[in-house]
Amino acid sequence: MVTTENLWDKIDVGYEVPTLVKKPTYMQLFMFSAITWNRHLIHYNTDFAKKDGLPDVATHRALIGNFMAQMLSDWLGYAGKIKKLEWSVRATAVPGNTLHCKAKVVGKRLEADGKVGDCEINVLNQKGDLIAPGKGVVLFY
Amino acid sequence: MEGIPSEAKARIGREVVHVYDVTDKDIRRFAQAIDDPNPLYYDEEYAKKTIYKGIIAPPLFCHAFTFADVPAGSLREDGLPKELDVPLPVNRAIGGSSSFEVGTELRPGDKLTVKSKVLDIYTKSGKTGLLYFVVVETTFTNQNGDIAAREVATYIQR
Repeated sequence: MVTTENLWDKIDVGYEVPTLVKKPTYMQLFMFSAITWNRHLIHYNTDFAKKDGLPDVATHRALIGNFMAQMLSDWLGYAGKIKKLEWSVRATAVPGNTLHCKAKVVGKRLEADGKVGDCEINVLNQKGDLIAPGKGVVLFY
Repeated sequence: MEGIPSEAKARIGREVVHVYDVTDKDIRRFAQAIDDPNPLYYDEEYAKKTIYKGIIAPPLFCHAFTFADVPAGSLREDGLPKELDVPLPVNRAIGGSSSFEVGTELRPGDKLTVKSKVLDIYTKSGKTGLLYFVVVETTFTNQNGDIAAREVATYIQR
């Protein structure tokens, strides 16, 4: 049996979730376009993306959200789950970038459905530029 | 609603519904596309030993079903997904944001009903002119009527 642990008792406000590093590639952007049936050229046609004013093909808003979700899921393991994730894309992330997905616990509270944690999330590129800020709400089992 | 064409306003509230089967292949490929190696998404023998008692999909897996599988010929030349193809006087997509509520886990064999509609369209003045915000709500419900996810995404165009 893959066991769960009691994370709720172990973490305090201010706890920093282990950083997840993601390196989007042309192939990954293509695969994400394919699996989401998103045929918008800005995600896989560099010429089109540049004509549209972007530095290169753009990492999808949804893919960046999935990076945040992976970071939280890796941390929670079988001790909890994501209830809600909010994020906004402030700058374009392109293939070759190294993205650092970071989160900090900013609140713990008891709700009708159980023990809830609030996280403040930031995805930064290798230069430290903010690509996407976000907020996560997690439920501890 | 200054500057928003009446054809665009007419799209607000019009719901489009699609139904899909969730397969282990969809889950596996989605997990590979987001580059998440968690065996919970790939390995049934492993997943059976977890609290989930079998393979489940990643938390934001519903993104695989947000955009309808309409023929390429029905899309705009730049391939913009149909759900965002609101007739506006601008056509360059920039950034955007999302609020994604995660509900019940999805598993291979589930039947997913996807309902999508434009909730709102509004404008704001930007540095380079008017920015158009298109707010799209998508709800994902399984065969038991349980909400698997609800996303409200805001797409910005200029």
